[in-house]
Amino acid sequence: MSTSTRHGAVAAEWTKLSSVRSTWWTALAGLLVMAASAGQLAIYAANDNTNDDPTDDRGIVTVGSVLIDSVELTQYVVLALGLLAITAEFTSGTIRTTLQCTPSRGRVLLAKAAVAGAVTFALGLLLGGVGALVARPVLGEWGSAPAADTVGDIVAVATYLALIGVLALGLGAALRSAVLTLTVLLATLMIVPLSLQEPDIDVLNRIADVFPGVAGGHFLAGDTEPYPPLVGLLLLAGWAGAALLLGRAALRRRDA
Amino acid sequence: MITLRGLTKRFGSTVAVDALTVDIAPGRVTGFLGPNGAGKSTTMRMILGLDRPTAGQALVGGRAYRELRRPLHEVGALLDARAIHPARSGRAHLRAMAHSNGIPTRRVDEVLDTVGLDGRAAAKPGRTLSLGMGQRLGIAGALLGDPPVLMFDEPVNGLDPDGVRWVRQLMRSLADEGRTIFVSSHLMSEMQLTADQLVVIGRGRLLADEPIGEVIARSTVAVRVRSPHPDGLAALAARLTAAGASVEAADRNELTVTGATADQVGDLAHELGVRLHELSAHAASLEQAFMELTADSVEYAGGPTGGGAR
Repeated sequence: MSTSTRHGAVAAEWTKLSSVRSTWWTALAGLLVMAASAGQLAIYAANDNTNDDPTDDRGIVTVGSVLIDSVELTQYVVLALGLLAITAEFTSGTIRTTLQCTPSRGRVLLAKAAVAGAVTFALGLLLGGVGALVARPVLGEWGSAPAADTVGDIVAVATYLALIGVLALGLGAALRSAVLTLTVLLATLMIVPLSLQEPDIDVLNRIADVFPGVAGGHFLAGDTEPYPPLVGLLLLAGWAGAALLLGRAALRRRDA
Repeated sequence: MITLRGLTKRFGSTVAVDALTVDIAPGRVTGFLGPNGAGKSTTMRMILGLDRPTAGQALVGGRAYRELRRPLHEVGALLDARAIHPARSGRAHLRAMAHSNGIPTRRVDEVLDTVGLDGRAAAKPGRTLSLGMGQRLGIAGALLGDPPVLMFDEPVNGLDPDGVRWVRQLMRSLADEGRTIFVSSHLMSEMQLTADQLVVIGRGRLLADEPIGEVIARSTVAVRVRSPHPDGLAALAARLTAAGASVEAADRNELTVTGATADQVGDLAHELGVRLHELSAHAASLEQAFMELTADSVEYAGGPTGGGAR
């Protein structure tokens, strides 16, 4: 397969995503949720602080950690971009046009993943920047924003959101319905791992650590336990890759 | 050239397309006819690689659709005019299609011009397009890659009379350029005006694949007889039935005879001394020919095991 065909499929997917207004509304909604969430968490961080002396470094919160906590809510807006890129095709029937233009199911899904991943990554950078700008002044004397660390956190947030976006895309291709996909995502990212962690039993905690949201959380927080951050990133990437494979298998097997 | 070889599609225990073997040749308009649920759309979707055949194959230019690199240059198709994202403009819809197959974007304006959609119509979001405009947009998409094979599923649906005439001329001229045109329609009168060749299916099976003239010629010619004397007419009917013709009484003064020529009926009437007010032969229209061809498959659907016609 020539590179130009591949580029063509990517260009087509970008045209489709950028030509519907819902894409831009979703991005705007993401910005608002991030700003609100970062602002609120920053207020909590500043108010909850019981340390009387901000100069002794205890109780000082980094802007990056506020960002990372804000992602927990914001991700549900951002993953809608990956989700809608495929489920809207099933709803409107344009999936048949798409497969007529590009009969290779793998190529279609890869092109969509490239576009959804790039868009959610870019949006993630923007969200990280906005979140930092909101959180910094609210934290005031209880906050710190070392430049290199903050930039690193913003890039990590963007990477996390891009992988979640691709995960949503792959699942959407397999499940076809937006509502069903969102339900499964909510369960996978939050409900199931939270339930597993609830009784605080070691073996259940370790199972929860494998779930994409938890793994991504360990990556974002830079945790060294239960595994290094890179393993958290790889686990999340593995989930995204597996979802794409599942989506491709469904597209190949089922009639459009 | 479209080649179907034993093409079969089953959905569970239902056979939608049953071992269809047909060649659809270039340079002419091939009409694809059949009652609702006969398997026309399923056949077209299998040709486009959208549905997987249960058995057999569908080839375009000798290759399976799923193997085509830039399929819009090989096959253009209009399947469903409503298949456009409600918020996406027609122009963006076509631009995305063009990108996917490396077609320059100026071609989008060319095909929009060909189908008669102006800039304002092409900028409107999909949800606001009328069915007719959707059909034109779908045809524009089919023409985008300038393909040698074109398929249209019910292309005149929702078009005004001008649009219908335009589609008819377009298909004619595309066929005259040597392209393969495969068009399905439930409008049999429309087929009579546009198609050169007819492929007729019923319940997924091939019923006919022949020039349109032969389909009509092969079907029965009916003779209408009117007389002011019901008794004489009854005697005539009895003689005709005895001679092997089939006779239907429209009312007391009129008969419709099949299986005998107007000459034979006239001679017989003269012999019996029945005064006639009308004796006329009626060539069957394509519509009648179609009804006759598909009668079995439709009847079968309403048979003792089925729950009525599908």
